[in-house]
Amino acid sequence: MRTRTYRNVAMAALGGTLVMGCYRGTPDGGLGFGTEGSGTADGGSDDGTAETPPENGGVGMVGLRRLSRTEMDHTLRDLLGDDTDPGTRFLPEDVIDPFDNDFTNQAVSTVLVESIETMANDIATRLVQDPTRRQLVVGCEPTGPADASCMEDFVGRVGRRALRRPLTTEEIEGWTQLGLDFAAQRSDFYEGVDTVLRVLLQHPSFIYRVEVGTPTAEPGVFRLDGYEVATRLSYFVWGTTPSDDLLDEAEAGGLDSPAQVAELARTMLDDPRARERIDRFHAMWLGYYALPHEAALTTSMRRETRALLDDVIFDDPRSYLDVFAAGGSYVDDTLAELYGLPAPGSDEPTWVDYGAIGRQGLLSHGSFLSVAARFGDTSPTQRGLLIRTRLLCQAIPPPPPDVDVDNPPEGGDAECKIDRYEEHRSNGSCNGCHELVDPVGFGLEQYDQMGRFRTAEADNPQCEITGEGRIDGQPFSGPAGLADYVMDNELLDSCMVHQLYRMAMGHQVGFEDLRYVNDLLTRFRGEGHRFDAVVLALVEDEAFSYRREED
Amino acid sequence: MTRRLGRRTFLRGLGGVAVALPTLEIMLDSHGTALAGGEVLPHRFLVSFDGGALGADNDPVHNFYAPDTVGHDYDLKTALAPLSGYGNVRDDISVVSGLRIPYGTSPIPAGGWASDFHIQALGPLISGVRNSSTDDYGVNGPTADQLVAEAIGGGTTFRSLAYQVQASWYLTQSAPYGRDILSYRREGDSIVANPGQTSPRLAYQALFTGFVPPDPGDAADLLYELDKRRSVLDRVGASIDALMPQLGTADRRRMERHLDEIRDLEMRLAANPPDAGGHCQMLPDPGEDPAVGGDNASVGGDGYDVNAGWSDESTRARVFADLIHMAFTCDLTRSVAWLMTMAQSHMNIHPITDIPYDLHELGHGGGTTEDMSRVRAWHIDHFAYLVAKLRDTPEGGGSVLDRCALVHLNEAGHGFDPGSGGELSTHSTENMCCLIAGRAGGLDAGQHVVADGMHPGHVLNSAMRAVGVDQDLGEVVGRIDGLFA
Repeated sequence: MRTRTYRNVAMAALGGTLVMGCYRGTPDGGLGFGTEGSGTADGGSDDGTAETPPENGGVGMVGLRRLSRTEMDHTLRDLLGDDTDPGTRFLPEDVIDPFDNDFTNQAVSTVLVESIETMANDIATRLVQDPTRRQLVVGCEPTGPADASCMEDFVGRVGRRALRRPLTTEEIEGWTQLGLDFAAQRSDFYEGVDTVLRVLLQHPSFIYRVEVGTPTAEPGVFRLDGYEVATRLSYFVWGTTPSDDLLDEAEAGGLDSPAQVAELARTMLDDPRARERIDRFHAMWLGYYALPHEAALTTSMRRETRALLDDVIFDDPRSYLDVFAAGGSYVDDTLAELYGLPAPGSDEPTWVDYGAIGRQGLLSHGSFLSVAARFGDTSPTQRGLLIRTRLLCQAIPPPPPDVDVDNPPEGGDAECKIDRYEEHRSNGSCNGCHELVDPVGFGLEQYDQMGRFRTAEADNPQCEITGEGRIDGQPFSGPAGLADYVMDNELLDSCMVHQLYRMAMGHQVGFEDLRYVNDLLTRFRGEGHRFDAVVLALVEDEAFSYRREED
Repeated sequence: MTRRLGRRTFLRGLGGVAVALPTLEIMLDSHGTALAGGEVLPHRFLVSFDGGALGADNDPVHNFYAPDTVGHDYDLKTALAPLSGYGNVRDDISVVSGLRIPYGTSPIPAGGWASDFHIQALGPLISGVRNSSTDDYGVNGPTADQLVAEAIGGGTTFRSLAYQVQASWYLTQSAPYGRDILSYRREGDSIVANPGQTSPRLAYQALFTGFVPPDPGDAADLLYELDKRRSVLDRVGASIDALMPQLGTADRRRMERHLDEIRDLEMRLAANPPDAGGHCQMLPDPGEDPAVGGDNASVGGDGYDVNAGWSDESTRARVFADLIHMAFTCDLTRSVAWLMTMAQSHMNIHPITDIPYDLHELGHGGGTTEDMSRVRAWHIDHFAYLVAKLRDTPEGGGSVLDRCALVHLNEAGHGFDPGSGGELSTHSTENMCCLIAGRAGGLDAGQHVVADGMHPGHVLNSAMRAVGVDQDLGEVVGRIDGLFA
């Protein structure tokens, strides 16, 4: 699988500690969705004036990106005012790895295409049955079923927004005629609207983010047009389709230079959708997007983490590292009780100082600590793995095939958990890898699988939990110690940049992307670790406006 | 604008409602197997899948699945308990025990796997083709449902159907990577995954699209709607055609596959309406799908949420069984792949057994072989329900089941695991069992057959031959003679 190459390449170059060679075995298994042969770079439409590719490279390889279920939900909300989450209701589950938009994980199937058709029919039918929404979308009041000018107006305007590009004359004429034909059949203008909408909602340029651009002097590298850049920008910053304003900017040449793109991005960060997007980025990156708790507790936990991100990134913009260094949190009574803090006395959360209880920043949130539990308890191995692979972007080889990873270690039936995990340490070939993860997890062991503090095992009170951990030879205890270590050693910032890039571009980091990603990290560090700086740097890089065709 | 599919003028468009033509005795030949006019009644084929093992880790009992007695009137242990119901459906279902999938690393045996159970053993189970190397986790050949679809599915509205009961992978820290795929087809040099529909509601809508309602006004509306959908798909197809020259090779391949699916869908919408009437009836709308449950990572401990990892799969399975029954009865398809639970399934089993575990962890320390067998019984109950419905649906001189061969597989048996060296492991392809139902092609249903050392692919081969498809599954050659009368 190509993705493994990507990951290793990226981390080597990012200066993250590349953990390799603790065990030489098989790579993790994945069933391929068919085998794709190799192709040639021949997507150019003409050989006219060749654009210059970015001088310092960094153009990543990308193919057609299908809208994820969530992107589809947001797109339809913004395009048609449809807030019923049609993507999630109709389309097959996305592969989450850890983001839901990696195009290399997207495969076409009967179920997919059938679901898209049913979804389009459902959306269009509901729209034309809703006079208020339909009026907003159509934008003109038809004089009758044969009102060609209203139909053409609707086709051109909604078509542009749906396909994220201007329509050709043939498209406008053809779809207007299609709409009028069906309007005539039932003497109902909106029958025509329904029909045209169904075409737009199944159109390849709606379902996929089609990037064509113009060829450059470098074979396989294309300069995106303004609309394509607007689309990249919008799905990255907002997780949804570009607004009319943004498309107008594209049309007017307002996204032709990197500085213009960055300027637009700056204003887009003021939109609530940017906050939602960044919240979602963190939830997918660190794995807490679907917590295994009851709805009320899940809401409390998600709200807590969202509040910290909003505060550090938007409301009082400062170093992003504060997300991991914060000395207090936004808790309601439920969380305060869970954490052993004085209760604010309300279901409404308030900011509370942790004091000297060992908590610090996001790593002590219930959201993060609820991830990677196993066997009804914390799993030091899984937690360590989560921290190594997700938080720090380090590669840990999978266990060899002759190891039973489905049971917790038995450790000769020792009474206490920490002694049972001795089984991992006493065996030399196990210890090679487990030494990299288990001690990291044990450093958080005083926080149970909901983030509750404890000093002894619930079922074995005689088993003390010390919370002593170790990472790269360095002792630490608890979320505060871990957060300080990963920040001080510049492991966290490089990984965050790497993960953000993956989500923005919809693929893993390959050789071609390295210059780009390294420059992002340099700017992140150079601008006091401001999160908005790295977002702006990402869209301001020349390579953001180019694509490299898959080979 | 050119139409890529010549849209035919349909009888239904001219004459309104299609006339129901139930098969009457008088229309049959003397054997009751074909219409007197020479038209042969269709065969039907199904593979269903239970993503679990028969026994639990370290439990000395391999299973409560294989009967003690051989032949007809076999005894029913925990896993097969549902077969005592449904009008003694045991008489319509044979049990095959003693099966195994070979394994080994040098060399990897034909039809076998290397050493890493999840999911190296899955490909050989469903395709009959061995792993290509010790690093290979793929599926290297077409699956039986697709071989059958290729051979006998061409004339039906749906060349094949794939349904999936387990609604989600249920683990947020990983992805299924093929554990959710039961069906693969050959496409040129590639083996392409054919994932199942997880939404009963969407499956229902797709299956009954062409059914013409009895009310003339409703019928006219339906014809209009179908015409609109075809017109729309025609335009969408044309848009993909127009886009194609602008794409690079890899993207063009993606879009070609998308376009193929659009064209297939157009053809399905253009198919002649099924002969609704007699036992072929449009089912009532199942309504909204049950909500999809969330992450199930830490099932088994305090604070465990019974709703995590569960999307009312019991209801979903019943709806799919009803749809499969009608798809066969109406001859809308002749081949179905029905994934009940995924390989290495992390579905919550609390709602079906009151045991607070997920399906996979139950085998690994959470439960006993007896517990595991109750989970098998949940799957087998759904299989038995479908078999009984097909048996109770008359067709020709007998029932639809007389022309069916339906196989129910498990991901694992119980016993030696070459990976860990464990002797009593869930990660084992020793002591496997499966079910085969129906009487197509002379199958002698209702018996327990011991097929020591044979591959589950031999059961699939037997079922394929029973429906007239004289092929072998991958590297697994031959049938099990004892299954035939």
